Amino acid sequence: MAEERAPSLFEAIREFSADSSPLDFMVILDHWDLFLTGIWNTLTLVVLALVIGGAISLPLAVIRARKTAIANQIVFVYVYVFRGTPLLVQLYLIYYGMGQFEAVRESFLWPFLRDAWWCTLLAFTLNTAAYTTEIFRGAIEAVPFGEVEAAKACGMSKMQQTTRILLPNALRRALPMYSNEVIFMLHGSVVASTVTIVDILGAGRTINGKYYLAYEGFIAAAVLFMILVFFITRAFKVWEKHWHAHLRPRDLSGEKAGAGRSAQPAPAE
Amino acid sequence: MAEAGPAANGGVAALSVEDIHKSFGPLEVLKGISLTAHEHNVISILGSSGSGKSTFLRCINLLENPTAGQVHVQGELIRMKPGRAGDLVAEDDKQVERIRAKLAMVFQSFNLWSHMTVLQNVIEGPIHVLKVPKEEAIARGEAVLERVGMLERKDYYPAHCSGGQQQRAAIARALAMEPEVMLFDEPTSALDPELVGEVLRVMRSLADEGRTMLVVTHEMGFAREVSDKVMFLHEGRVEEYGEPQQVFEAPKSERFKQFLAGTLK
Repeated sequence: MAEERAPSLFEAIREFSADSSPLDFMVILDHWDLFLTGIWNTLTLVVLALVIGGAISLPLAVIRARKTAIANQIVFVYVYVFRGTPLLVQLYLIYYGMGQFEAVRESFLWPFLRDAWWCTLLAFTLNTAAYTTEIFRGAIEAVPFGEVEAAKACGMSKMQQTTRILLPNALRRALPMYSNEVIFMLHGSVVASTVTIVDILGAGRTINGKYYLAYEGFIAAAVLFMILVFFITRAFKVWEKHWHAHLRPRDLSGEKAGAGRSAQPAPAE
Repeated sequence: MAEAGPAANGGVAALSVEDIHKSFGPLEVLKGISLTAHEHNVISILGSSGSGKSTFLRCINLLENPTAGQVHVQGELIRMKPGRAGDLVAEDDKQVERIRAKLAMVFQSFNLWSHMTVLQNVIEGPIHVLKVPKEEAIARGEAVLERVGMLERKDYYPAHCSGGQQQRAAIARALAMEPEVMLFDEPTSALDPELVGEVLRVMRSLADEGRTMLVVTHEMGFAREVSDKVMFLHEGRVEEYGEPQQVFEAPKSERFKQFLAGTLK
């Protein structure tokens, strides 16, 4: 005994979405948890890779800039290899390739290296570290030599010259270029979906595989990436405003009015 | 193990440099230069460009490695050993760092740390090299900035200051280290003529308060009126050395006469 009743608003929307709308957006909403998983996986992989890779790249960049004997050549080869090959190939070599070796399978690292997530993190980290090393090297070489010499002349140790003067100055300079690397890394991270990881693109692919709906999944993924990039560019804008105060031309508007001091107040330490 | 410095007239010299040689490849820039500065001495080092005067100054705190020679600071010998490039390098980096902190240097191009405000520049060395507590360093920093007339600019970045202001801030940065000897490497050469005066005034007042200073300069007026001794370098040798009075009134060296004629047009 089927009860006859007018379709509810919810059902009407569902019907519109499936039959009339060019995009079946309800499918996306139905799988919100899938996309949430995707965002989580993309973000954790990218953020961890950027943090670890960035930390690795700092000493490597100093080695490259200082042309430290032997170490410089090794870092050069590493950077060349990882910038010279596509990220996807690097991921395949690590994920599919390493398991071929008995020694790898026997080693204590195998529980990690047989796992797609860890392999992806490793590939991303090594990749971004290589690019970031070159970005930081360029920034370090752009620091005026006199500033380092002044640090030396006042009795700073080599380590202090590096951590107090060279890197703070260089990293500020590197900010705009580094924001590019962050965005490229985010976009490059879609290769994770090819090794079974459900990242943002992986969620879109799942939808595509399940319903043969290409647009729904991929447009949702594209929009999510754009939203993430929006936040990244905003963050860098704020950071540049804060960290580049010393590079901006001085704002003279306050000065003309006779406000002698703080026309350009320093950011608080 | 502190070696006795060449104690001239009983007292230990603030700085004594003996027979410094320096070569860049086959080119010998310094051919044996010696100098002794006692406390409160102001010594001006003159010479045309290429005479080696800046290199000499930079050999004193080992920004440049001499090929031969010795440097004593307050009687303490900077220990050096032969390096790979045929020059002398520091035997003990810690010792050189400690001694450099006593020999504050002021550079031709200021070399302020561009990412730090004027005050941050001034307190950086005291906090991180001399390990002075931060509050004390700030108090000391503000006092030296006051001293050079830069206190009201303490929160400015170097790029937002004029050349003269930057150089005065750099002098404050050097003063904040409470150095035994101050080394000035052509401190006014990068300045517009009208900004030279403010820097020279500060340097003059430092000389008046009894600072020990070595000044590589082209400012004849300063050399003549402020210094106790004037040294003229030519082609890596000391051509003329003595009291400014005697040196400027009755120069012995033919080269120095020409130099004076050239500069006092």
